[in-house]
Amino acid sequence: MSDMATEEKDLGLNQDVATEGTPAAVVVNPVSQGGDAQDLKRTGRMTLYVRRFMRRPSAVFGLVVLCILILFALFGAMVCPWKYDEPDFTALAAAPSADHWLGTTIGGSDMYAMIVRGLGRSLLVGIISSTLIMIISAVLGTAIAFFEGVVEKVGMWILDMLLTIPSFLLVAMIVRSSSGTSGWLWLTIGITAFGWIGYARVIRTLTMSLRELDYIRAAKFMGVGSFRIILRHLVPNLGSVLIINTVLGVVSAVNQETALSFLGLGIKAPDTSLGTLLMNGQSSVLTAPWILLFPSAVLILLTFSVQLIGDGLRDAIDPYSRSAGKAE
Amino acid sequence: MIKYIIRRLVNYVIMLFVAISMTYFLASAFMDPRSNYMSRNPRPPEASIDRSLDLANINDKTPVLVRYFNWLKGIVTEWNWGLSPDQEPVAPAVASRISSSVQLVAISTVLSIIIGVSLGVYTAIRQYKWQDRALNAVSTLFLVTPAAVLGLLIVLGTIAINNATGTRIFYVTGLHSYEGGNIGLAILDFLQHIILPTIVLVCIGYVNYHLTQRTYLLDTMNADYVRTARAKGLTLNQAIRKHALRTSLIPTTTNIAFSIASIFTGAVITETVFAINGLGRYFVTTIQDNDINGAVCIAAFSGVCTLAGALLADILAAWLDPRIRLN
Repeated sequence: MSDMATEEKDLGLNQDVATEGTPAAVVVNPVSQGGDAQDLKRTGRMTLYVRRFMRRPSAVFGLVVLCILILFALFGAMVCPWKYDEPDFTALAAAPSADHWLGTTIGGSDMYAMIVRGLGRSLLVGIISSTLIMIISAVLGTAIAFFEGVVEKVGMWILDMLLTIPSFLLVAMIVRSSSGTSGWLWLTIGITAFGWIGYARVIRTLTMSLRELDYIRAAKFMGVGSFRIILRHLVPNLGSVLIINTVLGVVSAVNQETALSFLGLGIKAPDTSLGTLLMNGQSSVLTAPWILLFPSAVLILLTFSVQLIGDGLRDAIDPYSRSAGKAE
Repeated sequence: MIKYIIRRLVNYVIMLFVAISMTYFLASAFMDPRSNYMSRNPRPPEASIDRSLDLANINDKTPVLVRYFNWLKGIVTEWNWGLSPDQEPVAPAVASRISSSVQLVAISTVLSIIIGVSLGVYTAIRQYKWQDRALNAVSTLFLVTPAAVLGLLIVLGTIAINNATGTRIFYVTGLHSYEGGNIGLAILDFLQHIILPTIVLVCIGYVNYHLTQRTYLLDTMNADYVRTARAKGLTLNQAIRKHALRTSLIPTTTNIAFSIASIFTGAVITETVFAINGLGRYFVTTIQDNDINGAVCIAAFSGVCTLAGALLADILAAWLDPRIRLN
């Protein structure tokens, strides 16, 4: 397998460097005249990925914004004198001022502290559920495609059946029964439990062409266990797609969290999330617009930056993407 | 063709039955109608709680399988989808809200398709030019903006406009408020109500058509038969219109058929923001009231819509694309 890996790497290198615009001769050398390869400085795969990612200004912008938001969620509470669960009853629905930087809610909670907390919750729910969704859908999607025959038929039927009822309705039913501080955990479980199905179908389609490849057959005929083939050969070969989907999945998970909390079905007081803050803001659109505006701005920044990173990653590492080849 | 459709239909009916049953068990496991009474003050006596729950067939002291078969028998024999905890039949409640949902969603879906597909074609022809990049950026922004944020920001903007002009140009709640008999005024009133939720739904809905149509058209634009058409001497526009566009519309048609499902549940947030009494809002109410039968009824209805869309997509795909083998 190690030979296979290096060959693949060389091939990958060929394409990569060619798109970089370096003279083709330099690329051909290491392959055709193996001996001289030592003199050449090879460009590693990661370096290429990073370089391609950094070539897109929008992707770099997204990365910077996301880093700032994460730092804000982690350490933002330290610079603020107020806590998200300690309302200031002397300032109810107060406009932004020196005392309360982003104003207060109707209940007197400091908006800055609430947003830091809410952003943290939204990020946590988004990242955890998106990661779990991708793990589950990768294993099940490849397994359904790998076993073929009856397993594939039954598996696809079950996936289609699960997709019949919109997952949003099912998540709402589950999350409803949760309350208080464990709400975010239930929300994560709910979003994960019904979020993997669509992705599993996509991954199954991708695996259908992978399973015909020689190294998979070779592994099969050598007697490698099915589970091992799935985990060691199939899933890693979908790695780039999985990483991209995980990043973009954060956007949809955050959107779902926002929607459910906004309807009053997700995270509830005393805990808070950006969706919960929007719900609070809705009731006082006329009198206290800042309760609505600041969480909205943070939400758009969050989802937009993640989307830009995802698009940048797709161009940098997706072997199936056709968008990379046409760069000017 | 008929045989193919019938086979799909039978498969979908079985699928729907399993999915609805699963939803029923899920709802029964996670929703707790008893808690509605427990939080009342003074708390009603245990026996009376049990009696009301028994009447609606949602008593958690009855085994769930017994409840399930009672519920199933009601549907099969008398098309009775059960009662809410307040002893209201849920099926008429769902039926009465379908028309509001359709009014709201029909216009915006048509607009989304028209705007999305034309933008997709427009940007695909101008790939990587500034128009393409600008429109892509706008669409990406709408793609990631949560519906609640978009709706609330539009409400905020509208209130500012109404205040600035001093008259009520747009209404931000409901679908109707005019009571008189004048048709012209009634239509104007309806338009004043519908325009804002429509803007929100179109902004959310068109993005998908734009981005996918762009990809599909770019795929076909580089196909051999389009190059042949160009080689024969057709101009780029003719080649695209007559050869590339037609094939690239096939996946979009399937997309449209599938969107029938999201029509009824996709507007939950918009209905909440604009206080429109449609299916989405009713669903939120059923969840908040622990109304098991009501929630399952809506889930079943949206399941029917999904599969109707899937069946329509199957038929359209088979009809449009001769490459799909029916057997």
